[in-house]
Amino acid sequence: MEMFLYGFMRQAFQASFLISLIAPILGLFLILRRQTLLADTLSHVSLVGVALGLLLGINPTWTNIFVVILISVLLEYIRAAYKSYSEISIAILMSGGMAVALVLMSLSDGSSMSLNNFLFGSIVTISFEQVLFLLFMTIGVLVLYALFKRPMYVLTFDEETAYTAGLPVQFMSIAFNVITGITIAVVMPIVGALLVSAIMILPAAISMRLSKSFTGVILIGIVIAMIGMFGGLAISYFVGTPPGATITLIFLVLFFMILIGERLFK
Amino acid sequence: MQQQPYIEVNDLSFKYEEEPILTDITFTVDAGEFVMLTGENGAAKTTLLRNILGLLDPSTGEVNIASKNIKGEDLKVGYVPQQVSSFNIGFPSTVLELVESGRYPQNRWFKKLDKKDKEHVKRSLDSVGMWDARHKKIGELSGGQKQRISLARVFAMDPDLFVLDEPTVGMDSDSRKAFYELLKHNTEVHNKGILMVTHDHLELRPYVDKHIELVRKENSPWRCFSMDS
Repeated sequence: MEMFLYGFMRQAFQASFLISLIAPILGLFLILRRQTLLADTLSHVSLVGVALGLLLGINPTWTNIFVVILISVLLEYIRAAYKSYSEISIAILMSGGMAVALVLMSLSDGSSMSLNNFLFGSIVTISFEQVLFLLFMTIGVLVLYALFKRPMYVLTFDEETAYTAGLPVQFMSIAFNVITGITIAVVMPIVGALLVSAIMILPAAISMRLSKSFTGVILIGIVIAMIGMFGGLAISYFVGTPPGATITLIFLVLFFMILIGERLFK
Repeated sequence: MQQQPYIEVNDLSFKYEEEPILTDITFTVDAGEFVMLTGENGAAKTTLLRNILGLLDPSTGEVNIASKNIKGEDLKVGYVPQQVSSFNIGFPSTVLELVESGRYPQNRWFKKLDKKDKEHVKRSLDSVGMWDARHKKIGELSGGQKQRISLARVFAMDPDLFVLDEPTVGMDSDSRKAFYELLKHNTEVHNKGILMVTHDHLELRPYVDKHIELVRKENSPWRCFSMDS
């Protein structure tokens, strides 16, 4: 295990472990709430936060979190206003986010390298501080999940019966969007804006085909996320492929293997 | 029977955009009262229920749902939507998980279910004949079975007020009668209030205390419904 002799690889594996614990939880709720593209939208919009941070000379993670929280709240109102056409808001925010980010980047000199890092991720150049930040984020999401899994289950199954059962439906929806947004803001510099949604959605989507129960889907999703992330890191180390893309390809291979397996054995 | 209104609807009207759909609706559902709501197809029965539950806002008039039950505790409302239309087919959950979620509003949002809760869940599943299917994935159930576990979920919740939108669709005659008996028992013995939309009004009539029929308003250019007077 020569690769573990390198500090950057150890940190990459630590970050992958932490992301694997939270991505399937948030991913499953995103899928069931029909918000699969929310992760994609927020990761594009969060580029505005990064660009703003680089322009103002502030740590981009903080400006990123600020912008993503703002957009997460806004998204819930747009989702309610365009209930039948919620993809309109996604199209507007995705392209708008990218456009604003590029304009802001053009105003700050010599930072295209940094934007590239945020677009494609740099899991093997992740710092100890980032791992620590991710650890706090992971603990936060896991504690929130443990506390609110029952209300979230009812809300996700059907918002109308959740409302009549006395749950604060809109507040919970906004809180969920904000937590997803903050997670994306923290994970995005590590795996890259373009792959954030793949890492959040694919493990949950795969495990939905493997388990009957809600808890089972989350647990299997965590195992699948670990297989994909650890496998992707190892392959990218030995073969020299980009880590984020390799991880995503492993998820896709797993997805198609399970589809084929279902055909053969059912 | 104790006379405490759980639902009070006063002079309610509802417009969709500018078109009146419901007008002059006034009635109550008391604790221990079984109320049947009928009307032809498209008579806005579901729209009325959604106004009552706060999922839609009345254009004029008002709806009051009691905040406390007859014991002075927070009133709990159990709602079963029409034809389980909101039934999330791909939702990864077993029958047991879903019916157990009916217990959460009984102060179990942040606590584990105890032995009493689990017994209640079992009774609820037994009452609709679905205990043996408890480990099945909900997406694998037939339409009638989905309907039955939606009812088991609402029984597990043990609400003070049941709001049921055509809950017997897909049930055979014997199951329907057993279900009506169960609801009647809940009103008479446990003082539950029930508002139920149905098309089987002849069959249900012997069990109910009150019948509200929505009829098309005469001399209206709109397809607007009001109470039969």
